[in-house]
Amino acid sequence: MTVETHAAPRLVAARTRIGSRAIRGPDLRQLRPVILPLATAGMVLLLWQLVVTAMRIRAVILPPPVEIAAELWRNLPILLHHAIPTTLDSLMAFSLATALGVGLAVAITYSPLLRDTLYPNLVVFQLIPKVALAPLFVVWLGISSESRVAFATFISFFPVVISAAVGFSNTEASTLRLCRSLTASEWQSFVMVRFPFALPAIFSGMKIAMTMAIIGVIIGEFISAKAGLGYYILYASSRMETGVIFAALFVLCVIGVSLFGAVALAEQFLRRSYGRR
Amino acid sequence: MPVVERQPYVQVAEVSKIYRSGTPNAIEAVSSVSFSVPHGQFVAILGPSGCGKSTLLMMVGGLEQVTAGRITVDGSAMAGPRTSIGIMFQDSTLLPWKSALDNVLFPIRILKRPLDTYRDAAQQLLERVGLDDFANKKPHELSGGMRQRVAICRALVYDPELLLMDEPFSALDAITRDEMNELLLDLWQQYTKTALFVTHSIREAVFLADRVLVMTRRPATIVEDLTIPFARPRPMAIGESREFNEICGHLRERIEESHHRGPRSNAASARPELVA
Repeated sequence: MTVETHAAPRLVAARTRIGSRAIRGPDLRQLRPVILPLATAGMVLLLWQLVVTAMRIRAVILPPPVEIAAELWRNLPILLHHAIPTTLDSLMAFSLATALGVGLAVAITYSPLLRDTLYPNLVVFQLIPKVALAPLFVVWLGISSESRVAFATFISFFPVVISAAVGFSNTEASTLRLCRSLTASEWQSFVMVRFPFALPAIFSGMKIAMTMAIIGVIIGEFISAKAGLGYYILYASSRMETGVIFAALFVLCVIGVSLFGAVALAEQFLRRSYGRR
Repeated sequence: MPVVERQPYVQVAEVSKIYRSGTPNAIEAVSSVSFSVPHGQFVAILGPSGCGKSTLLMMVGGLEQVTAGRITVDGSAMAGPRTSIGIMFQDSTLLPWKSALDNVLFPIRILKRPLDTYRDAAQQLLERVGLDDFANKKPHELSGGMRQRVAICRALVYDPELLLMDEPFSALDAITRDEMNELLLDLWQQYTKTALFVTHSIREAVFLADRVLVMTRRPATIVEDLTIPFARPRPMAIGESREFNEICGHLRERIEESHHRGPRSNAASARPELVA
């Protein structure tokens, strides 16, 4: 919070500096943060295309972007068909992870006993390469969608607990004291102070959880599935259809960016609505 | 009810606070402090940092338990926080996501009083402290002095009987601090409350208060109880007067004296004359 308050005036200062220069040079400068990364990505694609063509690299090894685009277009219906279970499973895992994670963080915040028993273990667990546990979930839950959702929830749940717990405990002590002096109930202090104070931390955990959930689902689909983009990537690779793999990866990127963007939008919405109350 | 009026509003009797009591690391933060404040009086508790004056204030506010002794406010013993008491802290403790106006209304929300009834009062308070144009600004858009002004409004909006202020202006620069003192005195004329004001600034204490209690580190108790003779309203210029500076000099001496003396000597009974 303090970091944000300190950064804010600097940000304003930077913006006005850009603004004053924009009088001389037209809007180009303001579009810089958009144009620069897009141009870079475009350059990389162009370079890729040129290198592959110039060095006559075979399409099985590395197809040029133009061919990937063609494969994407050709396989779009089947790719979208497989994108549906992947997206739904990821969303399901993300929601479960967020609910469980924030819930457990609240419990840890209010119960010293729970905090002392669970928190150190959670931190240690965070360090374990949990991806290696994916086959266990197949043993336990079979090859159904539940198994993949359970695994994806499992790996995306830790960042939410940890960052939400940190967010809740970082609430300014003086503000909580103010609540106490006003005879506020625990519930009031939580809803009016602790939760909004923790929102940025909770959302940064949720953003990590969103990407982890997709990773979890894809790994699950690699191991055992009859549908989904992970399954389709494996299938294409067994047929040496490298272009299709890249096309599927592109669709995955689009899904990842949209879901991440949705979380970011939700954050903005929630923070703004808190500001208005 | 003139009989009730005679009774002191705040009564602190033989109050002590010992942290980690019973262990070898026990620290006596406040030792056997007694004083009383009549209704409507502005009392400053003056002392060096770490002398336990903030702890004393928090005990009066019901935010800290007393280890020994008894605190009575408005006739009943303190057992916990009360809504008839408003507290201002060292930092403004504004909620960063709320506008100045919503921050002022925060206690009303907590106390579940009707917001619409208090919105005008909140606006008026902001106007009174010169922030009417900043009602919709967020704390990070306000200066330190402005934030403390919002905090004053927040402490006054629900109309507490007793106002406790814990070095509220100590984080501000000297010029802003003078402004805030003047503003506080000004508000005081209008909303007369009983007030306890903790500070380590001698001039601030003398300028603001009807009465100054000097608290020292060893012993962590009150060694001086001085009535400030200046009439109200007090102009800023009284800070230049000879009498004002004599009082300040005397208080400084009392604080320094207790530093040189051994721990455990109780000088509260000695009634010193003003230094000429």
